[in-house]
Amino acid sequence: MANTACFIIVGRNDIPIYEAEVGSAAKREDAAQLHQFILHAALDVVQDLAWTTSAMFLKSVDRFNDLVVSVYVTAGHTRLMLLHDSRNEDGIKSFFQEVHELYIKILLNPLYLPGSRITSSHFDTKVRALARKYL
Amino acid sequence: MEPDVSIETLSIIRIAVLPIGTIPPTLLRDYHSMLLRHHTIALSAISSFYTEHQKSPFTNQPWDSGSLRFKFVLGGSPPSPWEDFQSNRKMLAVIGLCHCPSSPDLDSVTEKFNVACKSYSSALVRRCFAFSPGDSQLEDGDKKGENLILFPPSDKQTQEFHLQTMMQDIAASLLMEFEKWVLQAESAGTILKTPLDSQASLNSEEVIKAKKRRLGRAQKTIGDYSLLAGSPVDANAHYSTALELARLTGDYFWYAGALEGSVCALLVDRMGQRDVALEDEVRYRYTNVILHYRKSFIQEIAQRVSPLSFELEATLKLARFLCRRELAKEVVELLTNAADGAKSLIDASDRLILYVEVARLFGALGYQRKAAFFCRQVAQLYLQQDNRLAAISAMQVLSMTTDAYRIQSRASMSKVSVNNETGRLPDAGKMHHHSIVSLFESHWSTLQMVVLREILLSAVRAGDPLAAWSAAARLLRWHYPLITPSGQNGLANSLANSADRLPSGTRCADPALPFVRLFSFPLHSSQVDIVKRNPAREDWWTGSAPSGPFIYTPFSKGDANESSKQELIWVVGEPVQVLVELANPCCFDLRIDSIYLSAHSSNFDAFPVSVDIPPNSAKVITLSGIPTAVGPVTIPGCTVHCFGVITEHVFRDVDNLLLGAAQGLVFSDPFRSCGSAKLRHVFVPNISVAPPLPLLVANVVGGDGAIILYEGEIREVCINFANAGTVPIVQAHVSLSGKNQDAVISIADEALQSALPLKPGAQVTLPVTLKAWHVGPTDSDNTMSSGRNAAGNTGRPKDGTSPSLLIHYAGPLSNNGDSQEKESIVPPGRRLVVPLQICVLQGLSFVKARLLSMEIPAHVSDNLRDEDIERESNADSLVKINPFRGSWGLRFLELELSNPTDVVFEISVFVQLENSAKEDDSSPVQDSPEYEYPKTRIDRDYSARVLIPLEHFKLPVLDGSFFTKDPPPGSPSSSRNPSFSEKNTKAEINTLIKNLISKIKVRWQSGRNSSGELDIKDAIQTALQTTVMDVLLPDPLTFGFRLVRNGLEKDPETKAESPFSKGSVLSHEVTPMEVLVRNNTSEAIKLNLSVTCRDVAGQNCTEGADATVLWAGALSGISMEVAPLQEARHCFSLFFLVPGEYTMVAAAVIEDANNVLRARAGTASPNEPIFCRGPPFHVCVAGGAL
Repeated sequence: MANTACFIIVGRNDIPIYEAEVGSAAKREDAAQLHQFILHAALDVVQDLAWTTSAMFLKSVDRFNDLVVSVYVTAGHTRLMLLHDSRNEDGIKSFFQEVHELYIKILLNPLYLPGSRITSSHFDTKVRALARKYL
Repeated sequence: MEPDVSIETLSIIRIAVLPIGTIPPTLLRDYHSMLLRHHTIALSAISSFYTEHQKSPFTNQPWDSGSLRFKFVLGGSPPSPWEDFQSNRKMLAVIGLCHCPSSPDLDSVTEKFNVACKSYSSALVRRCFAFSPGDSQLEDGDKKGENLILFPPSDKQTQEFHLQTMMQDIAASLLMEFEKWVLQAESAGTILKTPLDSQASLNSEEVIKAKKRRLGRAQKTIGDYSLLAGSPVDANAHYSTALELARLTGDYFWYAGALEGSVCALLVDRMGQRDVALEDEVRYRYTNVILHYRKSFIQEIAQRVSPLSFELEATLKLARFLCRRELAKEVVELLTNAADGAKSLIDASDRLILYVEVARLFGALGYQRKAAFFCRQVAQLYLQQDNRLAAISAMQVLSMTTDAYRIQSRASMSKVSVNNETGRLPDAGKMHHHSIVSLFESHWSTLQMVVLREILLSAVRAGDPLAAWSAAARLLRWHYPLITPSGQNGLANSLANSADRLPSGTRCADPALPFVRLFSFPLHSSQVDIVKRNPAREDWWTGSAPSGPFIYTPFSKGDANESSKQELIWVVGEPVQVLVELANPCCFDLRIDSIYLSAHSSNFDAFPVSVDIPPNSAKVITLSGIPTAVGPVTIPGCTVHCFGVITEHVFRDVDNLLLGAAQGLVFSDPFRSCGSAKLRHVFVPNISVAPPLPLLVANVVGGDGAIILYEGEIREVCINFANAGTVPIVQAHVSLSGKNQDAVISIADEALQSALPLKPGAQVTLPVTLKAWHVGPTDSDNTMSSGRNAAGNTGRPKDGTSPSLLIHYAGPLSNNGDSQEKESIVPPGRRLVVPLQICVLQGLSFVKARLLSMEIPAHVSDNLRDEDIERESNADSLVKINPFRGSWGLRFLELELSNPTDVVFEISVFVQLENSAKEDDSSPVQDSPEYEYPKTRIDRDYSARVLIPLEHFKLPVLDGSFFTKDPPPGSPSSSRNPSFSEKNTKAEINTLIKNLISKIKVRWQSGRNSSGELDIKDAIQTALQTTVMDVLLPDPLTFGFRLVRNGLEKDPETKAESPFSKGSVLSHEVTPMEVLVRNNTSEAIKLNLSVTCRDVAGQNCTEGADATVLWAGALSGISMEVAPLQEARHCFSLFFLVPGEYTMVAAAVIEDANNVLRARAGTASPNEPIFCRGPPFHVCVAGGAL
């Protein structure tokens, strides 16, 4: 189980549409801010790396102070980004695949505007449950 | 660690530049810039200063292509503890700068310079440059020695040449000193140390090890000096020897240093040329360098000193060498490793420098977010130091991160073109991807708020109020939904506190509050009525106004000013208004000191207003201004003076914000959250300013309520026109538009034309004669609405519509005769619409119109028709006798009028008479052409009936039959064959009605001024339609009684004796009589005739036991056949027993009636007999001889 983890879904326009602190450590505001800063900076690396590989799961694209960034890039260039301190690559990959299916279900909703924020509490509950299961 | 390191840093000579004495800052900056220009001096340029004292140890010196490189350390720096390890870290020369006018004593200058040089023991060359010496100082300068160099005052070019010569001299001196040092180093026994070496020098084992390493270290140092001397080949040879010795003795630290030096020598030898093989060689060697630096890590002294900084420096050097887009992955790996090492650094300054270098390299690589991230780390380290200079540095570093986090100030954003952003969707296309993303990349709100808060904090510490205000404004404006109410109040206080420190009238490129959007551009009436003039046409007003019932005609060339919503014309000097909506979504009262329209075209004077907006509310205000010059006006937004600073709020920014809110890309719509209704997007029209125009203002004399007319009333109304503009009116044209234009009888427009040119402020009065039209349908079923009587229009007008007076006017063709350009431009004209608010009241109203008929029984006479006609025509010309019918027939037209108004009406009826041909023949007396009846007064809320006697309607038919009976030859009536077809009958009826109505006029008068004429045509026509069939059509049979003339002639005695012989009947005598039956149809009629004689009691006198009248001949059951349009007679005699009054009636039953007779009679079944009865005839029986 990861002590620190921050999960963000970034839309194709580089706009975050979902944020969640899914670690088991005590949540502190400045730590959460630093996590978002790290994920935001990692977008540059993902931008270049996504076009050099056909795999959707990009493991350990960036790191800072013992925190590692793993990314899952969908076909529509939506990026599922996870900041974690553990080395459980299989669990992280499964987590990404499960969340991707949840995200596809969100996209199938005709009332949802692609690129806008995901405000579904059901989605949030599911993501946190998957984080506890796999990470 | 040192900033700005690269692989070639090892070949750069460091020179400390020290100010000596007091120097003005501007001069010091000039001296520094002159020095910094000489960072590279070619070896070929210093050959004239170089003197070879002995054989040079740099045998491979490239005199033709080599150079010495300098780095000027302004202000100097403390000596580095690693000077022995890397010779480039030494201050090898010291240059002092002196301003002679500020330091008059050169001796003290020399002493100060010598004192300053003592702290730079490693300096080999010392020079003091003294600028602008005086004459006395020039004389003394020669005695001070070599180190003081005077620069005589001269022009800048000469000084620069002098300085260049001095720098070449310094370079030559340095080169000679390097040779001297190298020659001594090989034989010297000095032990080179680093902080990594152990301090236990007394140990014999350490001494032995140090002696072994001394040779290797000496070789490396000689290689360093060879590099500094610009001889890479010699350096490479020495480095190779040093590498061997260091590896043999296990001196990993110096081994890495020598390897770094060899790479630098390799690059300097290549002189900037690089290829894949060179990159691979550099990459391989530096990998070894990093590895050996890591090997030299000593655990027991790690807390005190560590080679980690050299390892990280080497990593940064390699990353800088490979920093290219194609090698991004490799460089990112290197930089990430370097950043990982930051937490192990002991010195905070080293960590700061590391982050600066990492951020700089990420920026060079194009990774802006990464660069911003590490810049923020740098700012964090700066903010940990609690002093003002660190705060200034933090603020400047954070300002560089605003682009990556999309919170840049408007001032820095102006460089990027955002012209194509309006109306674009996020997925509009790839060309505007960057611009579109910058609009909506606001969901990284946490990062943006943190960075803005840090900028605000550092700006406050740095004492920069404008930067603090700008950061607080951006934080409050773009992130108010995520800020708590107390935070919002805190930001408002920050804005106010920053403004207190700013001078009054400070402008900031970043707006704060309120949110401003365009509500509407209300079109004033004076703006809509601008008409473009064609100078080639005199009647430029033709076609300018829309005419006809259609608002839009696709084939007409509509004027652009009137049909298009995107065009707007303002006039110089005339105030205009724009409606703007303001929103305050925050939780505090917003006080806007002033807000006005910001016009970038500088031909518009806006009027500022002051507004207070409560929390969470929106308000629509009116902003006005005056155009001042001709040309287009651009209004992109409003200028707001709020929180003590002047900012500009652009409408397009708010439009983009609302577009993002609709797309779900931003948090909230500030106007919707303030309770404002959803507003359709309002575009700013194309505004152009016209030159000053005249302005005509119209007023109806007596007010708008003065034109209240009754139906048919004629009144003259005066309209007063005044020129309220600043330009005289030269041209004017009056026309009509709108409905009911016929109500305007005349316009005295010559009064307006004669007043031209109408000066500013002048007035003119225009009389207009109006006539009220007919009011629409009323409750009465018989009354029918009709058009105006005067116009003869039978169309149905709309209720309540009034005509409008249309006046096109214009000023002179040229406002300024001196300007040639203005003469070619014709100022537009104007159009003034004066709606004539004509209110037509219901005057007299028709209640009912009926046609009444009354018959008076005629006396049975002895056929004295001529005398009767003549006599009756004298008494009453309207009462006519039907000689064939035998009775007096009167026809009345009854008009029932109602007066619902508050005034009294008087009705006068005029009837125009026409004498028939028959009357002209028989009567020589000519009647008057018009006969007037007495007036009828109708009071308020009363009704009255007016009886109008009419002529007999059946005369033309009888005239025709009269001529048919005895037709003269060649007469046009003889050929007439009247037909009783329905169509022909209706045509005759309409003709009769029209002839009748045209003779009758009903006039009314009310009060002193009101008078008019009632329109009775339609009313009469409607009323007569129902009764005309019964009244006008002749009966198929007409009956008449008369005395036989032969009987009277046979008895002349009775005639002479009796006074009643004329037209009278005597009792107890046989009276011969005859019945005349006339056929008015075109077919022969068979009938069964019967005659009845009744007394005054209505009893039949010829039947019964009490019969008082005896008869001879047949009185009933008489079968007759009458030819078409002919008469038939039946003779009989009566013997009256009782004198008195008797009534004779003839009746007939028509046998074998045809369809015409049945239609006339209106029978239901074809077998029903048709019964005709004639009018009664009066018989007066006088007493006889008894």
